[in-house]
Amino acid sequence: MASAFASNHMTQPRPEHAKQDPRPCNPAAAIMAWIFPGLGHLYLGQRKRGWLVMFGILFLFFSGLLVGGLDAVDLKNDRLWFIAQAFNGPIAFIADFLNQALVQKKPEELRLSMIGLGHVNALATLFIALGGLLNLVVMLDALYPQERHDQPNRRSDDP
Amino acid sequence: MNWLAWIPFLEPINWFHRWWYLLLIPLAFGISVAYKAIRVPNLNRYWWQVAIMTTQITLGVTAIGIALALFVQFAIPALTR
Repeated sequence: MASAFASNHMTQPRPEHAKQDPRPCNPAAAIMAWIFPGLGHLYLGQRKRGWLVMFGILFLFFSGLLVGGLDAVDLKNDRLWFIAQAFNGPIAFIADFLNQALVQKKPEELRLSMIGLGHVNALATLFIALGGLLNLVVMLDALYPQERHDQPNRRSDDP
Repeated sequence: MNWLAWIPFLEPINWFHRWWYLLLIPLAFGISVAYKAIRVPNLNRYWWQVAIMTTQITLGVTAIGIALALFVQFAIPALTR
């Protein structure tokens, strides 16, 4: 039975996509995508995609900070959320550093006005965490880049 | 809340509690912008795709919210009666 399966498996033509070489791995692009969102695709020459990724991730990150304040990024008190937020790159660590320095060290009565509450705090944390998880997807896309033929300087009606 | 006392990006907008669910729209928009940037094969209809995905997320989450509210308000009391 096993040998019949093996011989059948050997004689079957391989599907077309299996014959193609695997996509090349580009760790430098993935690292750059983590250092600053969108930088990996700019490095790969996919400029328009890079700017769009940068806009999308930074929109989520700064919307989260605007809604929840610096308290939305908190390594000490929201450690699990920070794991997802850390994929935003060094900007998440800078925000956490500023939170610890400017908010968490303040006296209790001053700190109360700087801490997000209820749904607003939850959504602000979620904005930044989802931005981080999306940047993880972007990093994986930059790590194994696809062949894309975007020509940003070319008009769409050009032949 | 005194608006003049609010420091953007440092202090949260806690006065937004009443309309917190409206934050779903910018959340869906941001997700769509980043996701579609790496998902679409060409960028000719990119913003149209972003608009569709934003609408899909917003309507989908709203539908789930309504379904859960109906379940909690009507189904659970009926089951526990």
